[in-house]
Amino acid sequence: MVKMDNLYIKSLPGADTIFRKTFDNGSTFLAYPNPTSPAVFFRGLLPVGSLSDPAEKSGLANLLAAMLSTGTLKHNFQELNNQIESCGASISISSGSLATLFSGQCLKEDLPLVLGLLLEMLSQPSFPQAHFERLKQQLSVVFKMQAQSTEEMAAQAFDRLYYRGHPYAIPELGVPETVSSISLDDLHEFHKRYFGPRGMVFTISGGMDSEKTAELFNQIFSTWENPNQAEQIALPEWQPHRQAMRDHISLPEKSQSNLIVGTSAPNGLSPNLQTCSLGNNILGQFGMMGRIGEAVRERSGLAYHASSALESGLGPSTWKVYAGVNPNNLDKAINKIIDELKRFTNEPVSREELEDVKSQTIGQIPLSLESNAGLASFLLGLQRYNRDLNYLRNLPEIIEKISAQMILEEAQIYWRLDQLVITSAGSTK
Amino acid sequence: MNKLNKNNNIAVYTLSNGLRISLKPIQSAPIVSLWLWYNIGSRNEIAGKTGLSHWVEHMQFKGTKNFSGQEMETAIARTGGYSNAFTSPDWTAYFQTIPSNALKTALRFEADRMVNSLYDPEEVETERTVILSEREGNENDPQFLLGEVVENASFEKHPYRNEVLGSTEDLLNLTRDDLYGHYRNYYQPNNAHLCLAGSFDIDEALALIKNAFGPIESHEVIHSIPEPEAQIKKAQTVEIFGPEENNYLQFSWRSPKASDPDFFAFSLLESILSGPSSLNMFGSGGIGNRGSRLYRELVENQLVATVNGSLTATIDPGTYSVYVTCRDDHSPEEVIEALDRLIDEFLSKEVSAEEHSIALKQARANFAYSIDNITNQGYWLGYAQSFADYAWFTEYVERLEKVSRADILRVARQYLDPAHRVTGIYRNRNNGQNG
Repeated sequence: MVKMDNLYIKSLPGADTIFRKTFDNGSTFLAYPNPTSPAVFFRGLLPVGSLSDPAEKSGLANLLAAMLSTGTLKHNFQELNNQIESCGASISISSGSLATLFSGQCLKEDLPLVLGLLLEMLSQPSFPQAHFERLKQQLSVVFKMQAQSTEEMAAQAFDRLYYRGHPYAIPELGVPETVSSISLDDLHEFHKRYFGPRGMVFTISGGMDSEKTAELFNQIFSTWENPNQAEQIALPEWQPHRQAMRDHISLPEKSQSNLIVGTSAPNGLSPNLQTCSLGNNILGQFGMMGRIGEAVRERSGLAYHASSALESGLGPSTWKVYAGVNPNNLDKAINKIIDELKRFTNEPVSREELEDVKSQTIGQIPLSLESNAGLASFLLGLQRYNRDLNYLRNLPEIIEKISAQMILEEAQIYWRLDQLVITSAGSTK
Repeated sequence: MNKLNKNNNIAVYTLSNGLRISLKPIQSAPIVSLWLWYNIGSRNEIAGKTGLSHWVEHMQFKGTKNFSGQEMETAIARTGGYSNAFTSPDWTAYFQTIPSNALKTALRFEADRMVNSLYDPEEVETERTVILSEREGNENDPQFLLGEVVENASFEKHPYRNEVLGSTEDLLNLTRDDLYGHYRNYYQPNNAHLCLAGSFDIDEALALIKNAFGPIESHEVIHSIPEPEAQIKKAQTVEIFGPEENNYLQFSWRSPKASDPDFFAFSLLESILSGPSSLNMFGSGGIGNRGSRLYRELVENQLVATVNGSLTATIDPGTYSVYVTCRDDHSPEEVIEALDRLIDEFLSKEVSAEEHSIALKQARANFAYSIDNITNQGYWLGYAQSFADYAWFTEYVERLEKVSRADILRVARQYLDPAHRVTGIYRNRNNGQNG
């Protein structure tokens, strides 16, 4: 197994090298410098997302996030995007269920300009009518594309079944009917109510100086005030339905069907997350997509892709197996996957498998430092999931303590084979 | 022949068996990215045998007489490293990004599968269905289907007209002997280029490479070299129909080969017309295209939902393509008319000094992003040398800075001629012409 010496572990980003500061307006800044880089990469979030959408206006947070880059009170669409693109920078803003996420990059000398524009976009959007209509039109195109996507239709069907009765059952993008009912007034109202600096997280890595950049960030963002900023709507109490469910969405003339077999998972704050993560690697990630890949692709040739994913967020979470198969092979693939899930829940993983994934997880630590963009994402994860700044340094010890029995126990808690949710989309043969 | 290229901070060697080696030490993190490039892609395939190079790439993960495929996968994965392979029209490349102390293992596997892969007949049959499944997944996407017919129409005979995955018909007919013959012919040290970028000592790395690859003998490679096609012969429109509700368009013009000095002017042309292409294959994305002429004309004027372009560096003249997702309130014909007007205008006078300056700044930024991660640096070390030399990449920005506005206009007039363009239309089957 890959071992790390103490000297190397101490050289990983940790409490003494990650700069973190929380400012008076409630925003938190994290930075990790890489002096050799000519560029900087940033990530961040505001704690409001589609969970706060009114039910009859689902898609509101998503539409609002898209509108943030269409103009501000100081710069119209053309001016704003010319300023960003003409210095080779980028700023992207999108909405998730619990947060509005942003990311960007620029040459380090352009950071003051780019931060100023980011502030404008987040705090002073102008929501121009023409762009509002245009974005709605573009969304109608996206809805039509999704309606013909086997991958998207299988995923939406899964959320509808699995999260029945919970806001996660509704696509973050909304549906055509709810999006068409959203008005500009709705955007203004939502923005006024939820957007503000409190709870904002900003992370950055690259060729900047951490402390000076923190000062710059504070200088720019301390001007943003919203004394009436409301808290995001709380996640409703919810328990998985604990029953088997199956749905197939028929899409004629598709060469391939997409399949999802899923169940519940621990959320990203769970102390058992790493145990499940190692188990998931064995189930459908390690090497050529783990046991699932071996059974469905390598031995049977049924699919080009067949893997598992532990999708743990801050709220209710899922553990899924994904596959893309010929419509004629759909049932065969489901049976192969269920056979592997039976094995996963009936017997402990082998010592060799466990050593493999432990070694991999520890070995991946230096690779996670390969890029500044990756480092900025890592910092955002630290803050979002309330992790210790020494998370990377502590990880090898946590991993080494996980046993095959612990993985089996978690597998048995989450993978109840009589309660699987199975969805697919594609041609019906 | 050993040589240290101080300007580019790379060391270049050639082993006696012909294996070319490029080494670029970067000490920012204790990892190394190993790339092995073979000078073989779908460009070298002949009629009836399309898809061979890509299928061979798959088979290279299936084991050798010394190691099973799983043993190789497991050994690399255990280090925390990741590996993959790509087949393009021009080349096939295998890469592994690993902790530096795993370099010896990675080199041993790459050297072993250069000569010892098994091509077990049962594995060949299993992989046939996997590759058909990969193709079927792509066929679900209307833009893949449209791209395939447009590329096909863009070349008369040159294999760039063929999809890298191969045609379904050929994939059903290729045999184990076809695959093994292709492998044995092209997978030779004198047809390969080994690149390392990352944290390593040059002398130690070279010793490991010599030890792993030195004993492999080279044989003469029989290359199928196609005749380049410098021009699309005539304007063509190709149409396909399907169940998607949206209509899609693809416009393709001939582009210069990457080693042609005009490629740099074409890069700036692309940046101004449809937005800059990212140089970053691994890592965060590039720069938006809202300031581009096409976005402003087509998206802002509410004619289309999306538009973007793509220019690829290739050995032979390739294609520059513009992709459009239509809105349902404007027909493909209206969009084609608007694009024709825009191209006419583009060809009528030089781009502005401001557009020129912005395109250069974007190129500088894209270059900075491209060196943000080590895997991408390993990729460019080999990719640039597949069609030119490494200076093509390291001097990319300087070469662009030498391109004048007059150069851009000259190149635009030479290549963006509507009389030599392929227009592809994907129409919703039920919406007919007005869609």
